[in-house]
Amino acid sequence: MTVAPRRRAPKATRRRLPSALDRRFEAVVFDWDGTAVTDRQADAGALRELVEELCALGLDLAVITGTHVGNVDGQLGARPAGPGRLHFLVNRGSEVFRADEQGLHLLYRREATAEENAALDRAAAATVGDLALRGLQAEIVSERLNRRKIDLIPDWVDPPKSEIDELLRAVEARLFDAGIGGLRAAVDLGVDSAREEGVSDPRVTSDAKHVEIGLTDKSDSARWILDHLWRRGIGPGLVLIAGDEFGPLGGLTGSDSFLLVEEGARATALSVGVEPTGVPSEVLALRGGPERFLQVLGDQRDRRRRGDVPEVDRDAAWTIQVQGFERRLERAHEALLTIADGRLGTRGAPLVGDGGTTPDVLFAGVYDGEGPAAELVKSPQWARLSAGGWAGTRRRTLDLHTGLLREDGPVTSLRFSSLARPGTVALRASGDPDRLPRSRRRSVGRRVTAAFRDRRRQNLFERIGAYDPDRDTAETALAAAETAGFDRLLADHREAWGGRWAGADVAIDGDDELQHAIRFALFHLMASVPDDGEAGVAARGLSGDAYRGHVFWDSDVFVLPFLAATHPQAARAMLEYRVRRLPAARAGAARLGRKGARFPWESAIDGNDVTPSAARLPTGELVPIRTGELEEHIVADVAWAAAQYIDWTGDDEFAAGPGRELIGETARYWASRVRYDKEGRAHIYGVIGPDEYHEPVDDNAFTNVIARWNLRRAAELDGSDEREREEWLAVADALVDGYDPVTGVYEQFAGFHRLEPIMIAEVAPRRPIAADVLLGWQRVRGAQVLKQADVLMLHHLLPEDVQSGSLLPNLEFYEPRTAHGSSLSPAVHAALFARARRFDEALVALSIAARMDLDDLTGSTAGGLHLATMGGVWQALAFGFAGVRPAGDRLVVDPRLPPQWHSLELALRFRGEPLRLRIDRRGVAIDSEALTLRRKDGIWEVVSP
Amino acid sequence: MKTVLAALAGSPADAPVLGAARSLGEMLAADVAAIHVEVKGADVRDLGDVPLRRVSGDVVEELAGAGLGEEVVALVLGARRLPADPRPLGATAEAVATRVAKPVLIVPPETQPTSIRRVLVPLEGTLESSHAPRHLFELAGDVAFEVVALHVLGTEAIPAFTDQPQHERPAWEREFLARYCPSGIGDVRLETRVGSAENIVPLVAEECGCDLIAMGWAQELAPGRAPVVRSALLQSGRPVLLVPVGAAARVPAGLGAGTAAG
Repeated sequence: MTVAPRRRAPKATRRRLPSALDRRFEAVVFDWDGTAVTDRQADAGALRELVEELCALGLDLAVITGTHVGNVDGQLGARPAGPGRLHFLVNRGSEVFRADEQGLHLLYRREATAEENAALDRAAAATVGDLALRGLQAEIVSERLNRRKIDLIPDWVDPPKSEIDELLRAVEARLFDAGIGGLRAAVDLGVDSAREEGVSDPRVTSDAKHVEIGLTDKSDSARWILDHLWRRGIGPGLVLIAGDEFGPLGGLTGSDSFLLVEEGARATALSVGVEPTGVPSEVLALRGGPERFLQVLGDQRDRRRRGDVPEVDRDAAWTIQVQGFERRLERAHEALLTIADGRLGTRGAPLVGDGGTTPDVLFAGVYDGEGPAAELVKSPQWARLSAGGWAGTRRRTLDLHTGLLREDGPVTSLRFSSLARPGTVALRASGDPDRLPRSRRRSVGRRVTAAFRDRRRQNLFERIGAYDPDRDTAETALAAAETAGFDRLLADHREAWGGRWAGADVAIDGDDELQHAIRFALFHLMASVPDDGEAGVAARGLSGDAYRGHVFWDSDVFVLPFLAATHPQAARAMLEYRVRRLPAARAGAARLGRKGARFPWESAIDGNDVTPSAARLPTGELVPIRTGELEEHIVADVAWAAAQYIDWTGDDEFAAGPGRELIGETARYWASRVRYDKEGRAHIYGVIGPDEYHEPVDDNAFTNVIARWNLRRAAELDGSDEREREEWLAVADALVDGYDPVTGVYEQFAGFHRLEPIMIAEVAPRRPIAADVLLGWQRVRGAQVLKQADVLMLHHLLPEDVQSGSLLPNLEFYEPRTAHGSSLSPAVHAALFARARRFDEALVALSIAARMDLDDLTGSTAGGLHLATMGGVWQALAFGFAGVRPAGDRLVVDPRLPPQWHSLELALRFRGEPLRLRIDRRGVAIDSEALTLRRKDGIWEVVSP
Repeated sequence: MKTVLAALAGSPADAPVLGAARSLGEMLAADVAAIHVEVKGADVRDLGDVPLRRVSGDVVEELAGAGLGEEVVALVLGARRLPADPRPLGATAEAVATRVAKPVLIVPPETQPTSIRRVLVPLEGTLESSHAPRHLFELAGDVAFEVVALHVLGTEAIPAFTDQPQHERPAWEREFLARYCPSGIGDVRLETRVGSAENIVPLVAEECGCDLIAMGWAQELAPGRAPVVRSALLQSGRPVLLVPVGAAARVPAGLGAGTAAG
């Protein structure tokens, strides 16, 4: 085998680099001529080797230039294998190519329309004509993609960059002779001509010799690559932008200043150019030309070769930071800092800690114990390097955009649970070698195997691990992860998160604190549910062991809609959890002498009810817990979740198969559950509604109406037995719902209006408040005091199935009677207040919900995050404020934008097609390749064209 | 060497004081010694196994001074001479207890001697009050005893949410203990009640069969201050170990003003 001799890499230590560059970047965006190479004839071999190695080490590189791709690619000739990517953003903002082992790939091209091209032609001709009128002979020298190039000084043929000062003087002298006030004035002529000829947003630039009139410029390239990097999980704070012409030239802004776009304001910018007129304040002046630039790249390569701990983008809007270590709040902080990949969740404890910390690792769906004692198994720890006392963590930063947890302190580290490879974890750390484990391989664990490969070299430590209930699977996954290596795992993980956010983000312009809290909620929602298999989503997700990992209606009604509307495969996995437990649900119904399927209030591994039978209240009283016996709306909640998934996705296969089973079997249960009175009215006796302060009750409006909906939805299913269909419709029609047409109010359950009329809003010192503790549970049972939305839950979940116009009277009646003693209540009320245009109340309720864990409002965040509340926050934004709801093959958008917000944007996926909705004062706008927006009868609708 | 020092006055209250001192000594694995400040008309006979030191001078000065001895881990005082005395502490006991920056065990005259197997520790849910149990655990070392922590929720502290109480309560309880009784987590049973602490502490001490109440205090017993200490002393009929929060409050490193995440 012949090995080609390696070119000698440029010396990296000629001059020390400034401290701003003393860090690892994740992407370098750079100009070509004058920055990367001295001129087009220069040998770029050393740069090519460097670029290919840097890409192999995970760095993304992007060249932004005005020239065409042949010039740059021909000179560089790099064909990197990745995981880092090489992009060419060429033709002054009009094209993007990617180079890899297979060659060059066009990713984007701005194609001018015939009208635009004609306008450019006219603009160039008019500019030349204008100049000629003043006695200056100029000529159109080329028609480049989307631009026209006018030579101001044809006598100078292909001047090198080193002669730019002389060139500028000559051009300006020529312009002044013609009575044109310099290069700036020549460019202005081009702008005026372009506008006059119909180019709406002309981009006119000059390199001193030419004036170019075009449709795009380098700022378009900069925006494209920054957006692309963002989608790859590389925020602007991790980007280095390099050029050689940031300073003004001939009264014009330097050509590389176009790289300094607003979206990249947090990037580090440096110039290696001479910059005779100085550089903008945000640019680091390094000088030294391409040689210096190569030194910078060489330094980045050395950092990666060494295994430096990667950075996270410390954008306050996208990070959760915990400064220092506060023992009292530590466990709550660890819950907030949980990193998870849908299968595996790891709390954000310090790498070195003591018994006051809880570095628990939970693997979804693996339980120990039976019945109410069933609980998620704690798996072997991977993010606890040493239990040897206190290591003095200084700062922990969770990057919500990428699911990376960085810890700074005596031991500095980066860790992640790979979203691209759920169950695989990686950790890199540097610090005191005494605190770092030695190199070794091992597989540990009882119910869940954790296979680790640890490698320590001096003060650097790297761990790659894989978890699975099956030992062989874990070890195979570890081997694959080892082969990929830390940098590829990191790149894939970043990209997976970037992709998730692109399809799920919600952006509010007008409330930064709320925006931050929303992103925190969405991050944990996304992190808590896998894409495939089955997903029993626990009340606290994978962030803590509270609630034992039991699965409630929280998952079906609160968490699933967000996923159905953004990442349907995860919603499908959640439904699969219910589908696989249909046999247990059927058995549950049969035990009660009923038909169909009765899902349990609390569920774990086998689908049987695991609800504990008693609880102690803060009053010290031991009370029976009857939710497992009586809170039967869970049956219809599961059907509602299946319908949500079908409505958002249009997944016909699911609808005709398991979805039909879920909706049909639950309908069958209700049909056998009702009892008829002498007048032929159907009743559901002895249940608990969402308002768990009252039990048992008859004809709970929520239970009856959602059961009615369940029956009718089942009757719509293709292939239902005709006789059964008729029975379902008859039962649905006969079910009472407590609606009073005179008041417009639904009675929450039979006899509610006869209870002691307590207006908790006036009695309680504050709300939310646990009214059962304040007043005592016996009194609350006999009073018109609600724990959470009950009738109003219908207006939230089933607005089409309640009486038209009944939201306002029911909101006015029930909300003042609601203590909001359930953490689910504020988000639902935020949605309903928004629908009612009661924005101040909506925003207060939304803030409470969004900050439930950030401010530990329950005092139990330490035991895990309130995932359902987080789902409720998304629903408040999507269903409440944006007013988004599927309606057949349309997506209805009926927004309520509070005056405090300038705009609300949501990324969604409807019927398989991604879309982004923007709601502002002007109305609604859509960004989608496949869907369009129309307005019909005053209502916005998203439809397929 | 650790010593529990019993202050004997030569009164009927001496027997419960000495009994309580023996029990506390057993619990803390400490020696028991006694001190008597000689005053006219009162005397203490030799106590057999408990060394007795007789001193003369001002009673308060002498007892407070003796309590400062390096080996003394707790001073045991009779609350008052007579059960019928309406004051929580007699004048001497109050003067000594408010001066000695060490744990002081106050023994009501009606106390029956018994081993200390179960201790009630009222916790306010503040860092200050959490130092009392911590100090107790530190003093006791490996000696086993059962701790019942009590948190009384006033109206202002009623939780906002109860969610699913069958799960919420254990999660909240575990975290409450981790925050305010960290040294005993795992060995401590938490009781909660709603209402006023001064009424509830004696009731729960009785209900839970506690032999001792241990609580932090600011060493102030002026009218209107320390209502829970007062009620424990007057109504519980049990020895009350008062742990000065200033003395015990050695704030561990890293515990400071709240650091918000976000």
